[in-house]
Order: sequence, then structure tokens, then C-alpha cells
Amino acid sequence: MTFFFIFPIFHTLRLSFLDPNTGVFTFNNYFAFFSKDIFYDSFFRTLKLSFFVISFSVILAFPLAYFICFVVKKKFRTLALLILVAPFWTSFTIRAFSWQLILSDKGLVTWFINKVTGYEIKLNFLYTMNASIFGLTLFGVMLITLLLFNSMITIDKRLLEANSDLGGNKFTEIKNIILPLSLPGLIIGSVLTFIIAVGDYAVPTLLGGGFKPVLAQLMLSTIKGTFDLNTAATMAILLVIIIIIACIPLLSLIKQVRLEK
Amino acid sequence: MKSFSLLNNFLYVLFTIIVSLIYLPILVMIVFSFNSSKYQIMPFRNFTTSWYQRVLTDSQYIEGLTNSLIVSISVSFFATLLAFFCAYSLVNSNFKGKSFLNIFFLTPLVVPLILIGISLRFYLTSRGYEPSLFLVAIGQSIFVMPLAILNLSNRMSQIPKNLEEAAWSLGSSRLRSMFEIILPSCKFSLIATFILTFTFAFDEFIIAYFLTNFSITLPIKIWTSLVTGFDPAINAIGTIVFLTSLTLGLISQILFLKK
Repeated sequence: MTFFFIFPIFHTLRLSFLDPNTGVFTFNNYFAFFSKDIFYDSFFRTLKLSFFVISFSVILAFPLAYFICFVVKKKFRTLALLILVAPFWTSFTIRAFSWQLILSDKGLVTWFINKVTGYEIKLNFLYTMNASIFGLTLFGVMLITLLLFNSMITIDKRLLEANSDLGGNKFTEIKNIILPLSLPGLIIGSVLTFIIAVGDYAVPTLLGGGFKPVLAQLMLSTIKGTFDLNTAATMAILLVIIIIIACIPLLSLIKQVRLEK
Repeated sequence: MKSFSLLNNFLYVLFTIIVSLIYLPILVMIVFSFNSSKYQIMPFRNFTTSWYQRVLTDSQYIEGLTNSLIVSISVSFFATLLAFFCAYSLVNSNFKGKSFLNIFFLTPLVVPLILIGISLRFYLTSRGYEPSLFLVAIGQSIFVMPLAILNLSNRMSQIPKNLEEAAWSLGSSRLRSMFEIILPSCKFSLIATFILTFTFAFDEFIIAYFLTNFSITLPIKIWTSLVTGFDPAINAIGTIVFLTSLTLGLISQILFLKK
């Protein structure tokens, strides 16, 4: 593990500080990165994309997990959860590609609307950032719902009864009981979704298109195209930094759990 | 009471919408895998199974499939084996830095696959290793190990500790008690972990993309056909892979529940 996981990351860190031509230690790679518009833009595009993906995933996943945990009858609970997460076992790439067929300007949606209403419309949706957000959000919803469900199912039902006995309503139930008690699942799910969104390559390429690349796309084209390893390493390290920042809530969560023990 | 059922109805609708959105692309893929038209646009032409025949006779797909099978089976084998020992020592012994090691083993989970792939490539090529399927197997093992360790240590922590202590006091060695007590009680979890890591490794694309040059795996083949002009045979592969991994996934879930 150390050899194949830690060493490579440090090697990349070292590469990112080396001058591509002379091999001298330098910060120039980082300055160069932020001075070029295409890199700079893609950096913030990546952050924006992940931010939207998390927000939408959480907004959708919370009611879903609530639904499976508290509304669906006990008999069907596992089934409902299974239905939602079974596509985890399908190729992510192929699913993203299928969306291409559905959403493209000659795809199923426009065909269907044309058949029903007779109008020719253009969706202008595929190959935009919105399409990437859409594709990754569907994935995030699955992941966060699963983790939220795991937290929610452990909530003591007597707490909910106490809430309604004391005159509370649905709103106070969610705000005072369910939300605080399922927070760990929510945080873990969001962090994992963020990490996947920030580093994903397939969805931004297939749905977002190549004209407005995210970091992962740039990294790959830098390596396979220009063989500029140092620049690619710089991008990789920037990605690591983003992720370390994203993991801070996770660490505070671990600390909290320890204190409670 | 009225607002209550209104909320429930809303949740039902939301659930249905999300589920159909998740399954729509899969459905489209399966339907189009039987479409005789070479282009992926409506209307649907004739029913055909020729794409399936294409896949099963095309040497490139066959090569990708064999490579993928070799890599993922060795990955899941070694990852499950290693994870078994890691989980055993994490669950059954107390040593300094145990909690640190616990977190350390899980760190690959929070590292995007592209970073694992890219940094391994940098590191190993600088050490003089050429990109190959062997490197792919190493990279993918790093990525599936945390899952395997989580699964196995979960199961192991449920085995009563005194079973093993009884064996020791009856004179059994540590190794023997491990093989005769822990191993049999983890049987189903081990198989389930094997299947789980297999499906993850089989589907994995980006690590493999960075770590091999000429011998390609199936996901890489799929990817290149997707990007360089479309080949309808992909729908057929997708359908096959989907159904196989779904079956395997369900089996592993059932095994987990069985313990």
C-alpha cells in the first residue's frame, strides 16, 4: 500500500515542483497554471460543477432516503433501496453514453416531442455543463441516498413518537430529530460525491463535451497529448488540495464520534 | 392528516421520477442493442441479434474481454486475500497506531481514481516499468482494497472473540485457529467480497486507461469506440455487462445477508 499508493502521490508532488526543461525546483508550474486562462477557467469550472452536483444530490437524496426509511412499508424497504442502487453495478460510461442518445438534438426526447406535438425543437442541452451536472447528480443521488438511509434506519422510532406526543409536527420532526441524527451519513455522502464529481472524466467528456474541459479532462489531454508531465502533476496536486479541503468536515466528524465515545 | 398524505404522495412521485431517470438510459441501451439500424436515432427499425453476434466474433472485443477477465480476477483474488489478513489484524489485535492504520487503509476511497492512475503512472514509469496489464492490476487493487477491508472487518467483528480464545487455550496455534474458526465463518463474506471487487475492477476504466498502452481491457475498448465514431455493438456489450454484473451484485448481496 505504501509503495503503490503513498510513494506515487509524493512523486507527483515532487514532479509538480520541477521545471520541465531543467529539472530545478520551482514554483513556476503553479504560477503558469493560474496565468493561463484555459487552466484557470477549468479549475473554477470543476469547483462549480462539483458544487452544483452536491447541492442537487443532497436536495433530492434527503426526501428519497426519508421516503424509503419512514414511508415505505417495512416489507418493501430493502426492495426499494435495491432498485435505487442496483445500477451501481452497471458501467458508468455506458450509462452516460445512453444519455447522449436520449438528450442529443436528434435524440429520443426531441423525436418524442416531434411525434406528439409536431414541433421541431432543439434541446441545446447536450455538451453543456448542465448536462454534466445532470449526469453526475443522478450518481450522487444514488450514493447519498444509500448512506443517508444507513444513518436514518438507526434512528430510534420512539423519538418520533415523542415528537408527535409533545405536539410536534412533520416539520419539527425533520428539523429536530431526523436531520441532526442523519448528519453523519449526509456528510460522508456529500464528501464522497464531491470527490467523484471533482475527479470524474467520463461524464464531463461524454455529456459536457470537450470545449469546456474540467481538470480531469485537461490532465488527460496534457499527458496523452503534449507529454508535459510537470503541468499534469501540478493539476493532480491541485486536485489533491481541493480534496483535502473537502475532507475537513469528515475529519471533524470523526473527532466528534471519538468525543462521544 | 391531509398534509401528511400530500407529502407522501409527493415522495412517491419523486421516487418514481428518480428511479425512471436512473433506469431510462439502461432501458434505451437494451432496446437499441436489438435495433438493426446502424445509427442511433429513432425510429426503431427491425429486431436483430446481429450486434450480439458481432461482439462475440470480433477479435478486439474478445481480446479486451479476456484481458479484463484476467486482470479483474487476479485483482479480486489478491485484494480479497490481502484484505482478509488486514481485516484480521485490525479486528483481532491491539497495537499502537491501530486507529491510524484503520484510516490509512481507507484513504484510497477519498482519492479520485484518476489521481490513483496518474500518480501510479508517473511513479512507476520513472522507476522504469512499462505500462502494462500488470500495472493495471496493481492500480485497481489499490482502489478495491478499502471496500474489501471494510466488508471483511465488518463480518469479523461479529465473530465472538471467545471462540478463538477457546481454541488457543486448547492448544491451537494462532494460524490454525484462524484457518479453522475465522475462515469458515467468513466464508460467505469472502465470496461476496470477491464478487464485489471483481465487478468494480471489471468496470473500472480510468486507472486502466493510464496504466496500459497496448493490451487493452474491455472498458478501454468500449471507451475508444464511443469516442471515435459510434459502434452499435456497444449497446450489446453494455447489455451483457449490465445483466452479468447485476446478477453477480445480487448474489453478493444475498451472500452478505446470509453471513
